[in-house]
Amino acid sequence: MFKEIFLFEIKYRLKRPATWAYFGILLIFGLITAIGGNGPASEKVFVNSPVAIATMLSVISIFGIMLSSAIMGVPVYRDIEHKTENYYFSYPITEKSYLLGRFFGSMSVLFLVSLGLHVGLMIGFVIGPFAGYVEADRFTDFNLWYYIQPTITIYWTNFFFAGCIFFALVSMTKKVMLAYAGGAILFITYLITQTLTQDIENKTLVSLIDPFGLGTFNNIIQYWTPEEQNNLTIPFTGMLVWNRIIWVGLGLLSLLYTLFRFDFQRFLNKNYNSKKKNDNTDIVKADAALTKIPNVTKVFSINLNLKLMVSLAFMEFKNIVRDHFFKAILIAAVLFLFFDAWFGFPTYGTPSLPMTYYMLEVKDFTFIILIFILIVFMTGEVLHRERSVKYDQIFGSLPLPNIIVYGSKFLALIMVSFILVNMVLVSGVINQVIKGYFNFEFGMYFKDLYLIEFPKYISYIMLAFFVHAIITKKFLGHVVAIAIWVLLFGLNSLADVDNNLYLYSYAPGYTISDMNGFGHFGTSLFWFRTYWLAFGAVLTIIGYLFWKRGTDSGRKARFQVAKSRLTLGSISAIVVFLTIWIGAGYHINYNTKTLNRYATSDTGTEAQANYEKELSKYNKIAQPKIIDVKLHADLVPEERSATIKSEFVLVNKSTEVIDTLHLNWGAEGSFYRELLDFKIEGKTPTIAKKYDPYGYELYAFNPPLQPQDTIRMEITVKRGYKGFPNEGSGSNLVYNGTFLNQGFFPTFGYSEQGEISSDQDRKKYDLPIKEYQAPPQDDEWGVNNFLFTDDADYITFEGTVSTAPDQIAIMPGYLQKEWEENGRKYYHYKMEGKLDYFYNISSARYGVYRKLWTGSDGASVNIEIYHHPTHTYNLDRLVNGVQKSLDYFTENYGPYQYRQMRIIEFPRYNTFAQSFPNTVPFAESFGWVGDFSDPNDLDYIFMVTSHEVAHQWWGHQITPSATRGANQISESMAEYSSLMVMKKEYGVDAMQDFLQRELDRYLQGRANESKFEKTLMDNDSQQYVWYRKGGLILYALQDLIGEDSLNSAFKKYMTEASFRPEAPFTTTIEWYDYMKEVTPDSLQYYLKDSFEKITLYSNKIKEASYEKRDDGKFEVTIAIESVKSYFDGNGKLLDEPKSANYLDVAVFGEDSTDADGITSKTPLFIEKRWITPGESSITIIVDQEPVKAGIDPYNKMIDRIPDDNIINVEEGSE
Amino acid sequence: MELQIKNLSKTYSNGVQALKDVSLTIPQGMFGLLGPNGAGKSSLMRTLATLQEADAGSVMLGDIDILKDKSKVREILGYLPQEFGVYPKVTSYNMLNHIAALKGISNKGERKDLVESLLNKTNLWHVRNKSLGTYSGGMKQRFGIAQALIGDPRLIIVDEPTAGLDPAERVRFHNLLSEIGENTIVILSTHIVEDISNLCNNMAIICLGEVVAQGNPTSLTEGIKGRVWKKAIPKTDLQRYQQEMQVISTHLKAGQTIIHVLSDSQPDASFESSTANLEDVYFAEITTRMETVSA
Repeated sequence: MFKEIFLFEIKYRLKRPATWAYFGILLIFGLITAIGGNGPASEKVFVNSPVAIATMLSVISIFGIMLSSAIMGVPVYRDIEHKTENYYFSYPITEKSYLLGRFFGSMSVLFLVSLGLHVGLMIGFVIGPFAGYVEADRFTDFNLWYYIQPTITIYWTNFFFAGCIFFALVSMTKKVMLAYAGGAILFITYLITQTLTQDIENKTLVSLIDPFGLGTFNNIIQYWTPEEQNNLTIPFTGMLVWNRIIWVGLGLLSLLYTLFRFDFQRFLNKNYNSKKKNDNTDIVKADAALTKIPNVTKVFSINLNLKLMVSLAFMEFKNIVRDHFFKAILIAAVLFLFFDAWFGFPTYGTPSLPMTYYMLEVKDFTFIILIFILIVFMTGEVLHRERSVKYDQIFGSLPLPNIIVYGSKFLALIMVSFILVNMVLVSGVINQVIKGYFNFEFGMYFKDLYLIEFPKYISYIMLAFFVHAIITKKFLGHVVAIAIWVLLFGLNSLADVDNNLYLYSYAPGYTISDMNGFGHFGTSLFWFRTYWLAFGAVLTIIGYLFWKRGTDSGRKARFQVAKSRLTLGSISAIVVFLTIWIGAGYHINYNTKTLNRYATSDTGTEAQANYEKELSKYNKIAQPKIIDVKLHADLVPEERSATIKSEFVLVNKSTEVIDTLHLNWGAEGSFYRELLDFKIEGKTPTIAKKYDPYGYELYAFNPPLQPQDTIRMEITVKRGYKGFPNEGSGSNLVYNGTFLNQGFFPTFGYSEQGEISSDQDRKKYDLPIKEYQAPPQDDEWGVNNFLFTDDADYITFEGTVSTAPDQIAIMPGYLQKEWEENGRKYYHYKMEGKLDYFYNISSARYGVYRKLWTGSDGASVNIEIYHHPTHTYNLDRLVNGVQKSLDYFTENYGPYQYRQMRIIEFPRYNTFAQSFPNTVPFAESFGWVGDFSDPNDLDYIFMVTSHEVAHQWWGHQITPSATRGANQISESMAEYSSLMVMKKEYGVDAMQDFLQRELDRYLQGRANESKFEKTLMDNDSQQYVWYRKGGLILYALQDLIGEDSLNSAFKKYMTEASFRPEAPFTTTIEWYDYMKEVTPDSLQYYLKDSFEKITLYSNKIKEASYEKRDDGKFEVTIAIESVKSYFDGNGKLLDEPKSANYLDVAVFGEDSTDADGITSKTPLFIEKRWITPGESSITIIVDQEPVKAGIDPYNKMIDRIPDDNIINVEEGSE
Repeated sequence: MELQIKNLSKTYSNGVQALKDVSLTIPQGMFGLLGPNGAGKSSLMRTLATLQEADAGSVMLGDIDILKDKSKVREILGYLPQEFGVYPKVTSYNMLNHIAALKGISNKGERKDLVESLLNKTNLWHVRNKSLGTYSGGMKQRFGIAQALIGDPRLIIVDEPTAGLDPAERVRFHNLLSEIGENTIVILSTHIVEDISNLCNNMAIICLGEVVAQGNPTSLTEGIKGRVWKKAIPKTDLQRYQQEMQVISTHLKAGQTIIHVLSDSQPDASFESSTANLEDVYFAEITTRMETVSA
């Protein structure tokens, strides 16, 4: 019996077109992902590596829950739907065989359908190498196991447990909707775990509760190097097993419950109760037919029709909002909105205050996808409303003009989408209220939602209307409409079509900022919205012409109808909208192409390649160096332009005669330039050669510049923005929050900065692969130049800047004078002493917060915070960061070179902080609005401030040479400095959190490496090495050899190398020598491991137990496993040396929380021991009851699996 | 006012020719359109109800061109489709009121009077506040005629309104239809001969998209008077009779098969003369044609 039901189910399903449609969709999806190569981040990982395949399967299994609910939700429901239940259940079958037959039949079909993806992927990977989207050598050989393993462990288990749940839900409740709702809940659970992953402390939790195991899986592979990703399948052990047990268990439980509870009678009876009984008895009056019908007056007027349109629209609107599907999706959408806003904007795991722009930005996360779906489906419903209840013939013959009917439906959807945009407002305000933030900026909400977002939804409606009006089959209409959107996304993301002029409803991205409001984005949004709305209107009218009223869907008839509707009115409407569309398109094209030089990313890369091919012959040629800069800057933020005159004093510091000046402006993009005046020694030089596409110009020196010659040069340039670009924020000059730097002016000579760095792209354009950007440490040119610019060594600086009357403008140096003239505000700054050629010009309406720092030697520094007037939340944290940093650095490295330290806020078009001499600009989104109320969240604003302040020493005092590894001297040192300030502030026992973050980011960085990992000595491009590894290694070094001892070396280095007046400038060799000097012989191995090699530990406590001794003390026995491995840059294991390493061994009591609420570890015992790789055991006596034991518990060493360094101590049973 | 259909033709996109050169003149009063399933009745009705395009021909209602000036027609049209649905959660009162508003009756008071009288007339008054989804087939059909009567229509089209109704309900429905004013054109399509003979002064028989006969039912019956013969035969002989003579209908009576044969003279002595009725006319017209097609 089971067999018959089972086989019938399978046969039935295999004949359904939907089954094959699902299969086909997956197949196409697989093909596209495989061929498009939208795969792993690192170029070194094969597109079809085992990890890449497993990732694709896992990710798609999440979307597969829809499939799961569609297939597993219906097998029992089918009997209700087709009303077969009444006789089907009368057959001699048992409930269990019925259920199990249907269940296993459907599940087999689900598994079968799910294989569409595999087929797509396999075919895709065969075609891929020839398709050309991804280089052929990124595909590796086919290996069936790479598909089977993740299919069993993740892909199918996901389908299985979700299928069980959906099957159970529908069988028990008979409501198919619940299957979809269940799917939505699972998906939301997944999203919540996703947001939890932002804090690495939640790792274990995420691994357990992620319903789809993707988080679990990611936690396992996150540190895998390209080498490992290419060769290993995901081990089915540990958390992954537990996760699967939990979820499959849940699925099985619900299936079992159903199996035992399900009962035919109950199933049927429920049906009777829920169905409305026909209890209308008919009363017949014989003479009823004779009732006279009164005469009526009929009016057909435009006025009345409009009224009817509105009332029909309202009716339709009510129909939509009463729809269960609509309600379910809307609820899901709003939940997404809410949770995205709730969790959505942390920095380093620390939440942000619920600023209005954050509340608004979540609308583009998941919400928008659900809006798409809602609009497409609801448009289908509305246009098919009468047909679906077969009321279309009566309705169609009513004396309502077509336009009124069509218009009312359109109007109804407009009303619905108005509700939808307001959901963002509601969710945002609720979020803000719950979080205790009461600065409701309704103006910002209204402007963004009603003027920018609402028109976008209208354009979605227009497209949906067009499709559903043309296509009279509802389901096909949905498919086509969604296919159009998928095509648009695909074109945009896979095929790199990014011109918003060609992507329906697209417009340039925009960022709302507290400082700059909607800034300059309004104009471009207005034009793009107009453009697409006009086009949408044309579509809607064409839809109107073909819209089916009546019963005739033949093509000939539809065209007949369209012709008859092509009246003067509709023609002129089309003409008007087409005109607007073309006009707006022309205007946009003029702005993006002509004014702002829109180029596709491919042409951009090609231009870079040509730049290198044509101009690299000028690389490293001798050019004069700047020794003095005087600026006269006139900023016009109101117009987003600035005219700056720069007076340079240049010296030929080389030993060659220089006869040509190379001005490198860079290719002109949106930031236009107009050279107003150019003089060398008072004369306008003649241009000798010009490479237009790259903005590279050659001018002859007349007479040529002899070694040590000094000349004066003046350049006056006007730069700014005109019109609007296709994409990009144009953040240099904005209405409020200008942030310019020396890049306003050209550099001298060829710069390698503009070259292509990706190996793949270099191969594509026949350029040799560059292993390193910078030359070796002993390179003559390298040691003669600074890393960040070869145009100058140290300079002197003075400048005047004018700006809008209500703004403050800031440049390097001390304010000399401040005045108003011609309605502009003027500021004159002058720097004392030297600085590297690295300056910024900022201007905005600032509030200023001033504090003073006084050092132990009596020197004082003015701390000035220039902030957006309302961003006063974290000013004291910034000040505290500066003060504590100055304390530590002046004591340990040497004096601070200036008398002031300024921190400047700039709009959130970028997220970073950067250190200029005596000035640190901090992005609006980076700390100013951080919510640090939980003391256990990372106080990153403090951390980043001390990092940036440290650059005043490491970068601005010791300025590294342009040689390999030199970045470490500024970045690793700044990171180390920041860790040390943190240690002083929070105590050594609170450091594990910070160190583990550094370690995490280092391990992830190396896992995504596209070239090969470089050592600390040589690294010239990898941020994760210079920040994360560098900081960790130096922190551990001071821990090993003593903080004072290491800092004494750095102090010595500082004294020796600070403001070194002439070449050779410092290299990592010099830096490293100072460290070697203070490191005892026994620990030299650590320096070698850390700086010259790539070394990773895998330390682990296998077991720890304790016994209480008679004297009240506790004897703790720890079983340790330690491995140290050397890897090459590709992540290939080289060696596992057996010599002992000096590592922390510790026993802890319960964690403690200090008065500020910061959690620290409580070591009962912590000591360094020489641990030999392999297994070993240590016995330790402690006074108090031990809770945890650890090896390298604070994660000072680079440890591949940092989580197993500490475990709980069990009480011994002996 | 008169409805003039001239040379109307329609072929569907799947190749089925639903209407072949149909010409009819329909005067005021009740006009019956008789034909088997699939004869093109509904196609013709939908074309008249402005829901469908025609390939060729013209339809004039007085001086209104139905094919072109759809909105004018709709203002004076009442239409009850063969199959129709309702919004299951709306009451008949509200629905009629809504349709009345859509039919241009903008005065609320008038609308109320109209809807109430229609509900009374169609015997739906007692269930006026019940939602339409709970109605029985007959009630639903009466609701259908009620909505068609809204707005004093000059042209009423009812497409197979009695199909599926029980005999009592059919009688009631006939009563309703017969009460419709005489200065209105009412076109009733049906495959039930009795509907026509009960109600119509004029009629047409339509088969395979063509008008095969038209006129007054009595005169049509007159045309075959004396040519219809009947005989009781064993079931097994039916095929032989069908081959030998024009059998226009068969039916069972007390277990015996009775055949009606059309013949100018008595086929043989075993046949007895039968009084010609409209049903015989109908079958005489369609059997020959249908057989041609199926052969």
